[in-house]
Amino acid sequence: MIHSDPVEARYFDGKSARSHAVEVRLDARFGAQVLVVEGYGTDEILWPTSELREMTEQARDEGIVLSLGQDGIARLIVPHGEKEDLIRSVSPNLGKRQVSRRMWRNIGIWAGGAVAAVLLIMFVIVPGLANTLAGMLPVEREVAIGNQAIRQISRFLGGTEENLTCTGGEGQKALEKMTARLVARQQIDYPLDVRVFDHGMVNAFAVPGGHVVLFDGLLKAAASPEEVAGVLAHELGHVVNRDPTRLTLRTAGSVGILGMVFGDFAGGALALVLAEQLISASYSQDAESEADRFAHETLAAAELPTEPLALFFQKLKDKYGDSEGIMSHLASHPDLGGRAAAARAADTVGEAGFEPILTEAEWTALKAICK
Amino acid sequence: MSDYSIYGGESRVATGDGDLTIDYRGRQGPLFRLALKTAILTLVTLGIYRFWAKTRIRKYFWSATAPGGDPMEYTGTGLEKLLGFLIAVAFLAVYLGILQLLLSFVGMSFFDMGDGTSPQDIVVQVVATYATLFAVLPFIFYAQYRARRYILSRTRWRGIRFGVEKAAWGYVWRALGHTLLTIISLGLLAPRASFWLEKYKIDRTWYGTARFEQGGRWQELYPAMKHYFIAMAIILVPGGLALAAEAPALLFFSVIGVFWMYYAIVYYYVNTFRIMGNAKVLDGRVGFRTAPRAVKVFWTYILGALLASTCAGLVASGFAIIAFGVMGDLSRLETVFAPGGPGVGGREIAAGTLLLVGYVGMILLYGVFSMIFVSQPILEHYVQETVVTNPDALEDVTQRARDEMVEAEGFADALDVGAAI
Repeated sequence: MIHSDPVEARYFDGKSARSHAVEVRLDARFGAQVLVVEGYGTDEILWPTSELREMTEQARDEGIVLSLGQDGIARLIVPHGEKEDLIRSVSPNLGKRQVSRRMWRNIGIWAGGAVAAVLLIMFVIVPGLANTLAGMLPVEREVAIGNQAIRQISRFLGGTEENLTCTGGEGQKALEKMTARLVARQQIDYPLDVRVFDHGMVNAFAVPGGHVVLFDGLLKAAASPEEVAGVLAHELGHVVNRDPTRLTLRTAGSVGILGMVFGDFAGGALALVLAEQLISASYSQDAESEADRFAHETLAAAELPTEPLALFFQKLKDKYGDSEGIMSHLASHPDLGGRAAAARAADTVGEAGFEPILTEAEWTALKAICK
Repeated sequence: MSDYSIYGGESRVATGDGDLTIDYRGRQGPLFRLALKTAILTLVTLGIYRFWAKTRIRKYFWSATAPGGDPMEYTGTGLEKLLGFLIAVAFLAVYLGILQLLLSFVGMSFFDMGDGTSPQDIVVQVVATYATLFAVLPFIFYAQYRARRYILSRTRWRGIRFGVEKAAWGYVWRALGHTLLTIISLGLLAPRASFWLEKYKIDRTWYGTARFEQGGRWQELYPAMKHYFIAMAIILVPGGLALAAEAPALLFFSVIGVFWMYYAIVYYYVNTFRIMGNAKVLDGRVGFRTAPRAVKVFWTYILGALLASTCAGLVASGFAIIAFGVMGDLSRLETVFAPGGPGVGGREIAAGTLLLVGYVGMILLYGVFSMIFVSQPILEHYVQETVVTNPDALEDVTQRARDEMVEAEGFADALDVGAAI
């Protein structure tokens, strides 16, 4: 036990807004090390050193601020110096903070509530509402939105809509013939606008309002017009399901929520981008599977084989590799091997043979549409 | 901008006998280390630590402020802030999600969402932003009142708690009304809004058993509008002349007016603080005298932000230069990450990582540097330019009960409308 000489200190009793000049010394009472505070009233105040807590992050460099227990209201400010070092050496629990069980229980309950609310809104309410609202949007609005989306995408690709759109007349006719055969037995509410962009990417996309764009790179990579027809059927599936519109609405609903959860700071932005990617990928994976199913049905209705579509998926897989496991959740398109197998399984033509969707001459014209 | 002549050079606020001056003892070094440490912890915990970060920074600023030499104390904890945030998310998630979805549906149905460059698109975007704002505005006011109540309930001086009465909804509808009036009057009634909202808050604020009271009249705030009128004149007069005389060159002066408006806003906030601060009374006996200077605050913002971004930028450039050295040619990054590219090697990954770390680090460091170059100097200025009159009456103030407030300032954190510090 340490007994020390008194040192001047300031004491705030937590009852009134008065500063009390007191003297503090270390002593032993009842077999325990205590801090004795004298000069406040007539009686001594005894603070066991094992119960002393220090206030953290103090900017003022004039002393150590102490309380009795972490919830103590009274404060003692002891100046820096030998006495402070002495107090520190006999006070083992200065930095100790305990959290009550009630607090942990509250955290548990409300963390559950917050997670449930976020999951509910992101995976039940927003998708459901987006589907309903997408159906309520007038067709002409969707067409207008799609026109703007195409302009934006053109700019993103580093060009304008006018200089990216391929204008080969014969090729465009072939494309229209292909589209007509595919939609002959389908009910489509939109004026279809199918075109080719002069860009090397092996890809195709649909935007709201019946616009479908194929890239020249896709035509170059295709071995037969039926491969192109398969991809086109897939994109038409997006058009019929109003996927672009639904996805736009879903993203609008979920982005704000994610921003709220992660807050506004450097690392949050990073987490936000990743989470957004996951969410939109999981939304669009469903949409891709649906569009594949539509493509299978459309090809069957048009009496075309699904093998070329499967071959095309295979080609993409060989070129870019597959994404399975964790990566497939980050990619918006489900694993290509699985899609190729599903396409093969949906075939209705078999060995019977079929009427080619384009003649040799038309296929040549389509491939040359961007020349 | 010659406020120095009004308040006299480097003069401090006038101090009479027996007045209580307020010390500010925060320093750049310790605050920088604390801010950097907590910012890095926030980054690596993907944001969860931000509640503790804010709490620790507050503890520092509070304890640096010492009326009469006795430091203020902040007793909030990070865990209770986290709990409040979770509660707010549970309540707000569904509302905000549906709201944003409906708004974008309305946007898609009625407006042309252009590519964001034509004037019409900009108008649409502004309208859409304001529509969102008005739909969440009641919650923002609610959150702000509650955040203030939480912060003050965790603030002590000489061991005595501050406190705010539970009256958030009364504040919400008043604030909505005043905001609407201010907008309709093109800002002319801003002093009325500032005064009555401040009075609503102050008249419900307590130090222990002593109540604060906001005195004065709202008309007294019009001198704070001085630079608003000057800025408007600089914008409108040349603008009108340019139209009348068909001399678009005159519009150059309007541009100056727009910049002047930034100063006008700072001038307004500093001077409404000064005028209303001088009219605040505690317990009917204790008064305040305050004389912050708009010029000082304005240049601290401008130069401090400049300094902070320069420092942060230098660090990020360092990373970019190292990345450049590792990689040789940064333009290759695009090609190696493109599908079908030559593939990603160790060097590319290292360079990419360095660039990313530099970028994230720049944002993080800007926050840390602006803490020491902007937040602290401005707080220090306000604190040092304020004195408490008749402080002896404070000795009679006694303790008030603890305001539990389980929800803490969660709504403000969720809506991101919390206090700057």
